[in-house]
Amino acid sequence: MTGPSDDKETPQTAIVVDHVSKKFRIPLEKKYTVYQHLFGIFKGGYYSYNEFLALDDISFTVNHGESFGIIGPNGSGKSTLLKLIAGILYPDKGYTRAYGRIAPFIELGVGFHPELTARENIFLYGSILGLKKNQIREKYDEILSFSELKKFENMKIKNFSSGMTARLAFATAIQTDPDILLIDEMLAVGDEEFNYKVVEKINEMKEREVTIVFVSHALRLVQQYCSRTLLLSKGKIIQIGDTSQVIEKYLQITREHQ
Amino acid sequence: MWIFEYRDLIQVLTISNLKIKYQSSVLGFAWSLINPLFMMIILYIVFSGIFKISEKQFALYILIGIVTWRFFTSATNLGMISIVSQPGLVKKIFFPREILVFSSVLSCLISSLLEFAVLFCILIILQVSISSSILLFPIIILIFFGIAYAFSLGLSSLFVYYRDLNQIWDVLLQAGFFLCPIVYPITVIPEKYLDIYMLNPLTVIMEIFRDILLNGIFPPLWDVVYVSLWGLFLLIFGHYLFSRLKIRFAEEV
Repeated sequence: MTGPSDDKETPQTAIVVDHVSKKFRIPLEKKYTVYQHLFGIFKGGYYSYNEFLALDDISFTVNHGESFGIIGPNGSGKSTLLKLIAGILYPDKGYTRAYGRIAPFIELGVGFHPELTARENIFLYGSILGLKKNQIREKYDEILSFSELKKFENMKIKNFSSGMTARLAFATAIQTDPDILLIDEMLAVGDEEFNYKVVEKINEMKEREVTIVFVSHALRLVQQYCSRTLLLSKGKIIQIGDTSQVIEKYLQITREHQ
Repeated sequence: MWIFEYRDLIQVLTISNLKIKYQSSVLGFAWSLINPLFMMIILYIVFSGIFKISEKQFALYILIGIVTWRFFTSATNLGMISIVSQPGLVKKIFFPREILVFSSVLSCLISSLLEFAVLFCILIILQVSISSSILLFPIIILIFFGIAYAFSLGLSSLFVYYRDLNQIWDVLLQAGFFLCPIVYPITVIPEKYLDIYMLNPLTVIMEIFRDILLNGIFPPLWDVVYVSLWGLFLLIFGHYLFSRLKIRFAEEV
C-alpha cells in the first residue's frame, strides 16, 4: 500500500524505512546451554527452529515535525518496527535511516537501578539516554521539580512507588531533547495532574517540530496526536495515510474478525 | 569511536557498578583487601611447606600472584554476565553494547588498583627496594586490562547464547589458577616443559609484575612485547566475535 510518493526521500524526510523484513527464530526446543547443543548434535535435528516473519517488506517515510502513529492488533509487529528504527534490532532485509538526533529509548524507566538513590539514578539514567554529565547537572533541579520529587532526592528507587519512578523517568527523558522521539505505548504513568503535564510537554515538542513516532492501542490518543498513521497486521502494511481513515479501516477489519 | 563519545556513560556506569558492589556489605571495600591477605596467609602456610622455598619473600610472591589473578577472574566473571544481566537495557535502549562489558571490566580494574595500592604499602613497609622499573606499571596494567576486556567481550557474547558457559569458565579458571605461577615458584616446572609453560600470557604478566614490584628490575623487553601482541590479538578476536554475535542480542537476552 505504499505509494511511490511515500518512498521518496526529500529534505523534509526524518525517517526512512525501506523494504524492511525481520524474521524471528522460534526454537522448537529451546537450547540455551552448551550441553544441550552437544546433545542435540548427537540426536540430530540441530537446527530445530521455526522462522516467524515479524515484518514483511515494510516501506514508508516520516517527515520532520510530523506525528506519526502506528496501530494494529497484538503481535502485528509494531514494537519490532519501532526497535528497528531505534537501531536496537537489525533488519534481515532492507534498511532504516533517521535524519536528526533520534531518542535511543522506546520505553521509559528502563535502566534505573533499585539500589541507587533518585539522585544517582538521574545521572545513571540520563547518561544511558545519551546526556552528558554537565547537561544533567544543569538540568538536575528542573528534573526534580518537574517530577515533584525534590523531597525524595536521597531515597533509594526501590522504595519509590511505580508512579514516582515513572515521573522521574519521564522528567529525565524529556531533557534528552531529541529531533525524533519514539514512544511505545502512551505514558499512562501518574495521576491526572501529572498526565496533564505530560500532555503539555508533548504538545510543546510538537510545536518545536519534534518528529514523533507513536505506537499505541489507545486509538483516541492516536487520533488526537497523529496526522498520519500506519496500520499493521501480521507484519504487513494494511493501510497508511490520514489517521481518521486508517482508524476506520482498523475498526472495520476488527469487526470482520468477530 | 564509542569510548570517547560515550565516556560520560562509561564513567557513570562504572561508578554505579562499584557503588552497588560495595554498599550492601558492612565492611564495603575493606573486603577487597582482607580477602587477598587471608588468601595469601593460607596459601603461604600450605605451600611454603610443600615446596622447599628457594624464593625470597615467598609470601609477597604469592600476594602479587593473587592480586593479579583476582583481577582476571573478577573482570571476566563480571564481564561475562554484563550483557545478560541487563536485558531491559539491551532490549529497549540503543547504545553500543560494548559499553556494558567495558564498564564492568573497568570497575573491576578500579577495585584491583586499590588492591595494588595496598600491595605497594606492604612493599614499602617491608622495605622492598623499589626501583624506577615501577614506572612500567601503568603500561603493564593497561595491557592486562586489554587482555581481560578482550576475554570478556568473547565470553559475554557467547554467554547470551550458551547459558552454562559460566560453569565451564569456572572450571577453566580453577585449572588456570594452578597453570599460572601463583602458589608455587616457576623453578618447580621441569626444564623440558618450561618453554610451553611460558607461552601463557598470564604467567608472563605475573612475572613482569614480580620483576617491577618485588625484584626491582626491568623485565625482559621481549616479555612486554609478547604480552602486548597477545593483547592485540585477543582484542581483535574478541571484538570480531562480539560484533558478529551482538546482532541478535536484543532477541536472545
